[in-house]
Amino acid sequence: MAEEVKKSRPAPDPNSAKYKLGQIAAKAYSDAMEAKKRGEKIGWCASNFPVEIPETLGLYVCYPENQAAGIAARGGGERMCNVSEGEGYSNDICAYARISLAYAKLKEAPEQDMPQPDFLLCCNNICNCMIKWYENLAKELDIPMIMIDIPFNPDYEVSDAETEYIKAQFLDAIHQLEEITGKKWTEERFQEVMESSGRASRMWIEATSQAKYVPSPFNGFDLLNHMAVMVTARGKKEAGDAMETLLKEYKENHEKGVSTFRAEEKYRIMFEGIACWPWLRVTSTGLKSRGINMVTTIYADAFGFIYDDFDGMCRAYADVPNCMNLEKSRDKRIRLCKDNHVEGLLVHTNRSCKLWSGFMPEMSRQIGEACGIPVTSFDGDQADPRNFSEAQYDTRVQGLMEIMEANKGGNTQGYTTMSGEHGQEGGK
Amino acid sequence: MAVNELLAQLHEVASSPRKQLDKYLAQGKKVVAVAPVYTPQEIIHSMGLVPMGVWGADMEINEAKKYYPAFICSIMQTILELGIKGEYDGVSAIVIPSLCDSLKTLGQNWKYAVKGIPFVPMTYPQNRKPAYGIKFTRAGYARVISDLTVATGAQFSEPALAESIRVYNTHNAVMREFAEIAAEADITAAQRSDVFKSAWFMLPEEHTAIVSRLNEELKAGPKAEGKVRVLVSGILADSPGLLKVLDDNGIKVVFDDVAHESRQYRTDVPDMENPVDALAQKFADMDNCTLLYDRDKKRVDYIMEQAKKHNAQGVIVLMTKFCDPEEFDYVPIKRACEAAGLMNLNIEVDRQMVNYEQANTMIQAFKEMF
Repeated sequence: MAEEVKKSRPAPDPNSAKYKLGQIAAKAYSDAMEAKKRGEKIGWCASNFPVEIPETLGLYVCYPENQAAGIAARGGGERMCNVSEGEGYSNDICAYARISLAYAKLKEAPEQDMPQPDFLLCCNNICNCMIKWYENLAKELDIPMIMIDIPFNPDYEVSDAETEYIKAQFLDAIHQLEEITGKKWTEERFQEVMESSGRASRMWIEATSQAKYVPSPFNGFDLLNHMAVMVTARGKKEAGDAMETLLKEYKENHEKGVSTFRAEEKYRIMFEGIACWPWLRVTSTGLKSRGINMVTTIYADAFGFIYDDFDGMCRAYADVPNCMNLEKSRDKRIRLCKDNHVEGLLVHTNRSCKLWSGFMPEMSRQIGEACGIPVTSFDGDQADPRNFSEAQYDTRVQGLMEIMEANKGGNTQGYTTMSGEHGQEGGK
Repeated sequence: MAVNELLAQLHEVASSPRKQLDKYLAQGKKVVAVAPVYTPQEIIHSMGLVPMGVWGADMEINEAKKYYPAFICSIMQTILELGIKGEYDGVSAIVIPSLCDSLKTLGQNWKYAVKGIPFVPMTYPQNRKPAYGIKFTRAGYARVISDLTVATGAQFSEPALAESIRVYNTHNAVMREFAEIAAEADITAAQRSDVFKSAWFMLPEEHTAIVSRLNEELKAGPKAEGKVRVLVSGILADSPGLLKVLDDNGIKVVFDDVAHESRQYRTDVPDMENPVDALAQKFADMDNCTLLYDRDKKRVDYIMEQAKKHNAQGVIVLMTKFCDPEEFDYVPIKRACEAAGLMNLNIEVDRQMVNYEQANTMIQAFKEMF
């Protein structure tokens, strides 16, 4: 993969959102490390597990998905994948899982270490792959696994039956964790966590919605980094504070007419899918060099954990991307495209994510049609650098740009121009 | 009827599902397609509908590429392909569970790719054993009943379900008996596969009648000798080309852990007062499958126990390409085989395989180890 050349940069402003957010993400690891050293039991946690549960109980957890993304972004993805493949894991398995299983074996990675777990918190509202991955971790490490099953919802709304099923599991999980760790759930602490999570979510949604301005006051690639805090720390008060700072900065940027997108914003796109972490610089530069700003992603909507009570929390965790049907997934994206004046959709066909990619061709066709924008896709992977071709990416982005340019001239080529390629790509 | 005639009858059914579909339609019956891996077939049957399995076919994929990237398993891709091409025309609905990520996407794509056949979702819980899980399974059944009533006009009744449960439990027992008899009887891997495959295209009572007679004949018939005894594990093992490789190399399938085969028949519906409760309890009781949450990987222990019980000399994993649940389970299976001193072989298979030379070479090398 491409070596990232680090330039020396001035020390970051400790009052900036970027600094605060970076500190929170880093502290999640160091806090867990220290807790482990103190002899506390720590967990590994799925990214969309109800974080309110460990947070209310005062448990320290680490996020293997976040770790895998970090390892991949720092160039260790292929090395770790090779370790898992050497154990017999197919290279068709999600690269986050391969990296994580390798880490469970090696117990160290210079790119991002984290303490070994005493229990696992699994939730499959993002994919069933999580279940298998955590089963294997639980077996290998011989530790308890708490499994919260939030099934894929074929309907637009979350049913009462599903909410009841989820609630029973949340209560069961709390009970199991109390037994494993000796810590106790209190309603008072839950109220605080719920408020923190709600505040962080509201600030995040409002900050990301600042892309409604043209030009956008931020580069959408920022969101891919900042969302780590929403994944790992949205139940903490500091997360809400940092998100409030982020919102303030974006508002100020708009007022001053500046942006973290350091180029002239000629085109605005929505990026679909998980970032191509091993190729972050390449994928970002391929856009920026053409004046294309990725102004929004579904992550802008994904962390809207705003609810009023325990039942509302149960429902919220069933209403997340990858757990909702095509129509609801589509409508959320159409709204993001329209609210943020999106002119094109760039889809990452992510080899690691069968669920995300498995109905994306049809959904992106429908989004393109509804918004009158061109759609194109490229093949990649969230963490395995071998599944990405820079030349293909470049060609696809160039094609997308040309259609957006033609559309600007009033020569609307429509949404179908590029989306038809999905069919051909499938066979390549 | 002689063994060969019974087997020929089942082979005919296994290799011509469209003919079976047309036969049932001509009889005025309504047919409901059931996707892998588990669906409440007892409910469908009890409503007077014919459940027919759809597990794709060995074929080239064209139309489905509009919906699927290449890295989705070929079972899903070819189910969609057949749907788009009209091979299921006449079917009243398709029930698709969401037991794996690719199945989740099949249901979503189906709605737009095959508009003439309504998609009926079956949502099973992974935490299927606690009371709250069983209750959620019941909610899934209620949804299926309601959707099927809309799609077909058929009505549901508990007494009819109780009767269908009896029919299915009988079929389960006959299929389990067949698997045991086939471990010793002189039949080929291809013939064994036909018995399992044909079950997906026949009413269970019809299939039970034939397999019961077959069992009697096989029990009295000659035993297989001089073969390498293996347990086969995987999602699907119905490829004629691959089965021929097994047969040509003197490989005897003495038991299977195949989703399309024995995994379907391991668990009976228990005897309970309310048949819907009983059917939900059946799902709670099911285990040892890659698609059902299994913290302790009991499936691996089960494979080892069955291999030992059936005097298998090795385990052949037929790995459906891009089936990540099976790919995760493969590593502990491999390790358990090694610990038990059992030879094991992993052969990647998919619905697009046309050349079996590589598989043949692997099987030859495997055989030479004994």
